[in-house]
Amino acid sequence: MAEGAAGGSAAWGRRLRLPSLALLLVVLAVWELASRRYGAYVLPSPLAVGQGLGTITRSGELWKHTGASLYRIVVGFGGALALAILMGLASFLWGPARVVVRDLVTVLNSTSVFVWIVVSLIWFGLTDLAPMFTTFMITLPVMGANVVEGVESVDRRLLEMGQVYRLSGWEKFRAIVIPSTIPYLVAGMKVGFGLALKVSVVAEIFGVTSGIGYVMNYSREILATQMVFVWALVMIGIMLVTDKLVFESLTRRLERWR
Amino acid sequence: MKLEVDGISKRYVIPVLERVSFQAAEGEFVCLLGPNGCGKTTLLRIIGGLEAPTLGEVRLDGRPVQYGGMSDFHVGVVFQEDRLLPWMTLEDNVALVLKALGHGAGPRRDTARRYLRFVGLQGFERYYPNRVSGGMRQRAAIARALAIEPGLLLMDEPFGALDAQNRRIMQAEVKRIWADTGKTIVFVTHSIEEAVAIGTTLIMMSARPARVRELIRNDGSRDPHALADHLSQVIMEEVLRQQGGQP
Repeated sequence: MAEGAAGGSAAWGRRLRLPSLALLLVVLAVWELASRRYGAYVLPSPLAVGQGLGTITRSGELWKHTGASLYRIVVGFGGALALAILMGLASFLWGPARVVVRDLVTVLNSTSVFVWIVVSLIWFGLTDLAPMFTTFMITLPVMGANVVEGVESVDRRLLEMGQVYRLSGWEKFRAIVIPSTIPYLVAGMKVGFGLALKVSVVAEIFGVTSGIGYVMNYSREILATQMVFVWALVMIGIMLVTDKLVFESLTRRLERWR
Repeated sequence: MKLEVDGISKRYVIPVLERVSFQAAEGEFVCLLGPNGCGKTTLLRIIGGLEAPTLGEVRLDGRPVQYGGMSDFHVGVVFQEDRLLPWMTLEDNVALVLKALGHGAGPRRDTARRYLRFVGLQGFERYYPNRVSGGMRQRAAIARALAIEPGLLLMDEPFGALDAQNRRIMQAEVKRIWADTGKTIVFVTHSIEEAVAIGTTLIMMSARPARVRELIRNDGSRDPHALADHLSQVIMEEVLRQQGGQP
């Protein structure tokens, strides 16, 4: 993954991803043409969307709604992450726990997002807890499955080495199980976070009065289509930024030894 | 440490070991030889306390080895693979096993460095296992086994994965370590040349179910070439017998 030290225009081309940029320009051009053909209500022009982004940045709405969404995502996602790690610990300590976790994951995976949205509205009403709970329930199986798979894939031969050298249970967990599970955990977190963002925004359509999902739906109601596109761009931005800043650096840090 | 293997039998679905007995005095270098798959590794695991025998007993300085969970404190094991933790530096890998002995962080690091130096890895303490060669990883595994200051060192074809040149270097290295430390070593190998070159006691096992077919004191009184020829002949007989299916 790491970019080599090699300089030159070829390396810069890779960095800038020229083919992707070219595609982006084509998309923008087609978008502009289509916008002129179908009108700003159906498809606002790229320029209008750009201006909309400027407006919410200046007015502070960008930070308000992004912050509200991120807060809910982080709580729901964080809760799921904590429980997933506990599931991993349980399945390391006690074989039957693996079966239980796997069955639980299967059931949760086959439950629709909408079920959790409706149920959380009934249980938690019009509060922050509703999107948090939905996010929690949707991301839990993804991360739980990954962590348990990671724990199962721990090299038995390394555990046997731990036994030979009389490492305590805790020491084996800390020195052998956790490091072998981390790649699975990080992969699960990556998928889980993307899912959390998508799901919590849907949950925000109902019941709350802040957050990206709320403001998108509101923009639709007041016929401000360009703002729907603006907030969609914001979501993409959040995803890219967390991927680059959080997960890539996390992976690099944790896997220095490779 | 004196090692007594007394009437060890092991059966899984089929009998693997059948009443294997031998003794090794303190400071002996025992080489276990035999056809592939005859149960050498199983015997080593039984000696190391990793697997319980069906019958029989292993005694270290007269004390029977206990099975179930923890292995004996005074046995160091070098496996076929290095079994280093890839996410820890060589130094940390060695220091890790000293934790179980209750050493503090400072002494752990000092001991780890001392043993890494002893096996010729000075300057590589901070390297991760993936950054050094297979031979160096196996040296680090030996340093780890020595660091707990075991009375008995078990080695299970530790150089099987190395190329011929590294193998010879490591043989000489192990011989030096043995001479310097005076430890009792049990060394599993399928290479007769290796066994004749480094062992003081050579134990030739039969094909499965394995028994001790021959126990040879390799004290230099026998010509190494003649000895190697003889052992090659025995191992051929055993391999043929195994393939013939006749016990």
